[in-house]
Amino acid sequence: MPRRRAGAATVLRLGLRELRNGFDGFRIFIACLALGVMVIAAVGALADALRAGLTKQGETILGGDVVFARMHVRAPPQDQDVFRGLGQVSETATMRTMARRIDGSDQALAELKGADSFYPLAGAATLKGGGSFADALSGGGAVVDAMLLERLGLKVGDKMRIGNEDVPIAGVLDNEPDAIVDRLTYGPRVFVSLATLGKTGLVKPGTLIRWRYAIKLPSNLANDREALADLRKSVSEKLPAGGYTSADRFDPSPQISRALERLRQFLILIGLASLLVGGVGIANAVSTFIDKRMKVIATLRSIGASGGQIMGIFLVQLVAMSLVGIAIGLALGVVAPKLIDVFYGDLLPVRLNVAVSLQSLGLAALYGALVALLFALWPLGRAENVSATVLFRDSVNATGGRPRRALIVLMIGLAGALVAIAVLTSEPRSIALYVIAGLVVMLVVFGWLGGFIARLARRLPRPSRPELGLALRNIASPDGLTRSVVLSLGTGLSLLVTVALANAALVADLQDRLPEEAPDYFLLDIPPSDLDGLKARVAQDVPHASLVDAPMLRGRIVALKGKPIEDLKLPSDVQWVLNGDRGLSYDDLVPEGSTVTSGSWWRKDYEGPPLVSFEGEIAKKLGLGLGDTVTVNVLGRNITATVANLREVKWESLALNFIMVFSPNTLRAAPHNLLATVRLPQGTSPDVETKMVRDIGRSYPSVSAIRVRDAIDQFSKIFAKVMVAVQVAGSVTLTAGALVLAGALVTAQRRRILEAVILKTIGARQRQILKAHAWEYALLASIAAIVAIGLGSAIAWVAVTRVMELDYVFSMNAVFITLGVAAAMIAVFGGIGTWSILRAPAVPSLRSE
Amino acid sequence: MSEPIIKLDDVHLTLTSRAGPVHILRGVSLAIPRGQSAAVVGPSGSGKTSLLMLMAGLERVTRGRITISGRDLGPLSEDELAILRGAEMGIVFQSFHLVPTMTALENVALPGELAGEANAVEIARDLLSEVGLSARIDHFPAELSGGEQQRVAIARALSRSPNILFADEPTGNLDGRTGKQIIDLLFGLRKRRDVTLVIVTHDNKLAAMTDRVIRMADGTIVADEGTGSGIHAVSS
Repeated sequence: MPRRRAGAATVLRLGLRELRNGFDGFRIFIACLALGVMVIAAVGALADALRAGLTKQGETILGGDVVFARMHVRAPPQDQDVFRGLGQVSETATMRTMARRIDGSDQALAELKGADSFYPLAGAATLKGGGSFADALSGGGAVVDAMLLERLGLKVGDKMRIGNEDVPIAGVLDNEPDAIVDRLTYGPRVFVSLATLGKTGLVKPGTLIRWRYAIKLPSNLANDREALADLRKSVSEKLPAGGYTSADRFDPSPQISRALERLRQFLILIGLASLLVGGVGIANAVSTFIDKRMKVIATLRSIGASGGQIMGIFLVQLVAMSLVGIAIGLALGVVAPKLIDVFYGDLLPVRLNVAVSLQSLGLAALYGALVALLFALWPLGRAENVSATVLFRDSVNATGGRPRRALIVLMIGLAGALVAIAVLTSEPRSIALYVIAGLVVMLVVFGWLGGFIARLARRLPRPSRPELGLALRNIASPDGLTRSVVLSLGTGLSLLVTVALANAALVADLQDRLPEEAPDYFLLDIPPSDLDGLKARVAQDVPHASLVDAPMLRGRIVALKGKPIEDLKLPSDVQWVLNGDRGLSYDDLVPEGSTVTSGSWWRKDYEGPPLVSFEGEIAKKLGLGLGDTVTVNVLGRNITATVANLREVKWESLALNFIMVFSPNTLRAAPHNLLATVRLPQGTSPDVETKMVRDIGRSYPSVSAIRVRDAIDQFSKIFAKVMVAVQVAGSVTLTAGALVLAGALVTAQRRRILEAVILKTIGARQRQILKAHAWEYALLASIAAIVAIGLGSAIAWVAVTRVMELDYVFSMNAVFITLGVAAAMIAVFGGIGTWSILRAPAVPSLRSE
Repeated sequence: MSEPIIKLDDVHLTLTSRAGPVHILRGVSLAIPRGQSAAVVGPSGSGKTSLLMLMAGLERVTRGRITISGRDLGPLSEDELAILRGAEMGIVFQSFHLVPTMTALENVALPGELAGEANAVEIARDLLSEVGLSARIDHFPAELSGGEQQRVAIARALSRSPNILFADEPTGNLDGRTGKQIIDLLFGLRKRRDVTLVIVTHDNKLAAMTDRVIRMADGTIVADEGTGSGIHAVSS
């Protein structure tokens, strides 16, 4: 006789009825899910807010609606006419220079900016203590960053020397609206008018100076993203040889946008890591839930429910709980940027504009749903196997075996979807693959290790100390804490080690190894006529200093193999080469620190068609080979050269090296300055060093000296801020581990209380129970920490050497931090658990069984 | 007559609940001499198990005094109580309460190990043999039948040669035949080892095997009699 089965509606109704149990047993489930979703949503929301901030404040950040800029050469009148035809124009010029005391006793590197009377077109440039910025500049004075005054011991009203001009300090800069569009700055800002800039004598052909033309457009055009893009394109078509880079208010700083996008993707992957670690907590919670409902399931079985119906009923509850967890996570994630804005708003490059995109929230919710289902399905699937005989006898293995095949296939599908989403939403995709592979390795290794430790503990001979014996038996117990503790603590700690070691490698690369290889100073803007004198000056001050020089121009690639770069589709990791100006040089010999890998260097005195030597890795990514052509715009002129050879460059040496080095005949005639590195002999005293810099400044006012150590420190500061974000995201994974640990302890608590009570009834003292727990936790935490250090180091090694392409550095700090965190976590969680166990009264446990 | 090994003077036990205080025991006084076997009987909720827990030092009196082997339990700390239990008492529960992560042998050896006895394992092995479980010593509780688990529990209770054996419904979870085997075992061991036995039970037949029957109702002792027909007379 065919049996009729209740439909989905009945299953749904029964499932909803089961929800009467409330959140009992689901708190950790919800917390694990909410935490992971929160991180992903918060990272997305923060990136959205930053991006919205960039766009909203784009006009101010950019100094106008659209900006055209180029190196070296001021826009000629006909180009300026084109700009003026679009709207109100403001012209500025920025360069590095030395600001000196009039008496020559001291000097400092400064970021000089000449501005016309229209500056700024958007936002306001203000002075500390009030007063008019425009008036300060128009009177021939300078407005400077307070730091410069402090460094040179000057005050407002004093004069300082810039180039050949003594400029009175008219005010202290309070706000520069378009400060962040200037890339890495090494020195304090000095504002002067363009007229004053002209008087300094620093603006010469070949000087490294960036001319910017900010334009305020009519509002109908300014607010139309596409119209702005079209306008930028039409200007570059009108001025084909101009070599201008352009940006508009909707993406005022492509570099910042790109860096932000990379950071967002990386932090989301770390958020995914915490979600996956939390998945273990989800699986444990569902497993415990099914165990508790065993009699209910068996009862349903005994009255004719099918396995599928039973699973459906419990799936309804899990979906409901998942929705709660995801909703909490999303809500917290949305609030996060507001909190960050309140507490850390000052540290961010732009003001946040809290506007969360559905895409960010959708991604977080999708990840949450996939992980919840993936980890819940296995224990849930086992519920189908529960037999009605559970009602008649207690059986430890009532839910044995695997879920049925269809469920396993579904789980594989879910895992595949998770990987696919992570990979497809990351750029470059290999990073996502590495991260996911690392996570899978961690979960597999620690999942296996828990079982292995339990089996090992079972085989060990009985120790003479009874407390240790108790601990080992607990570790060996199949329903003990071993697996949960090892898995949650191990994965969390491994990630901690990985992040700490990757950080150590980066820091070491930036700081520790540099002094041996890197030069001590970069000298910018050396007029060729001054080179011999400068060399003599340096040799006189520091007899064994070595000075290496190279011609230096800035130029922009405009076409590859005859195709304009706007028409090329290139991988995003090489886009930066085309986005702005690049340093160009020429040489009749292979530069120091370079090796020719294919093709050959031109002969000395080569006078044929222009040739160029290209850096090999970048050439490969650009699809360039020997014989291909590269067109660069230098000083407003397009030059097409043929790739004659490819080089391998040792960039980390910080020697003078360029992506493109041309045959001398190509660029020799163009007005240009020289760039030089100075290496001081070991043990040069600071006084000698200061004197050398002061003497260079006095004799060669156009030359700027950048102390490499200062530049690296500057970069390190920015880098440290980014690492804080990474570490915060990483520590969330540890929190997820802590939640899993807490969940496991809560689940085991009832059993452990009963166990402690039994021990008390047979004469065990509190100290003995405490010792047994301490042994158990210490053994598990130590093993988890040691393996985490090993595994984390291995993963960090792959990340550092394969992904980041740096030298691997082992850090004992990372080891100590890991051991410390492991000890702290286990002491806190285990301590709370044991404390409540020891305090639990004996009688209720003994009666309730 | 010698000094009683268990002595209760006007013992009260009051627990708090949401509905207000619940008076579990109201002024129980009792003296059990060394070597006696006594059954505590009475309807559910009469306070039998609470009385046993108090005597075993697992619960503290609200008022009154309990002495075990002349020692007042009142001022003793939790640890001192645990040590006293280890030295003087063995307890057998209705639900066995074996440590599930340990084998039968490990369960029985545990009290001796905790007390630092070097030959705890040998003693445990002998005891398990005495209760007829030599072949099951390496089995975990989940692998043993109810009767076997209770034998392990009895062996564990006797492992440190206690002077007093408390048993709370020792046959409550067992079928009639197995229950009888356990009773025979318990009384046989008591006799051989000259242990004072206090059993909480609903089973009149079991109560009839003891030297004395203490009948409780509503937290007080309503009858305290010798063995035999007296019980039946009272209960009828």
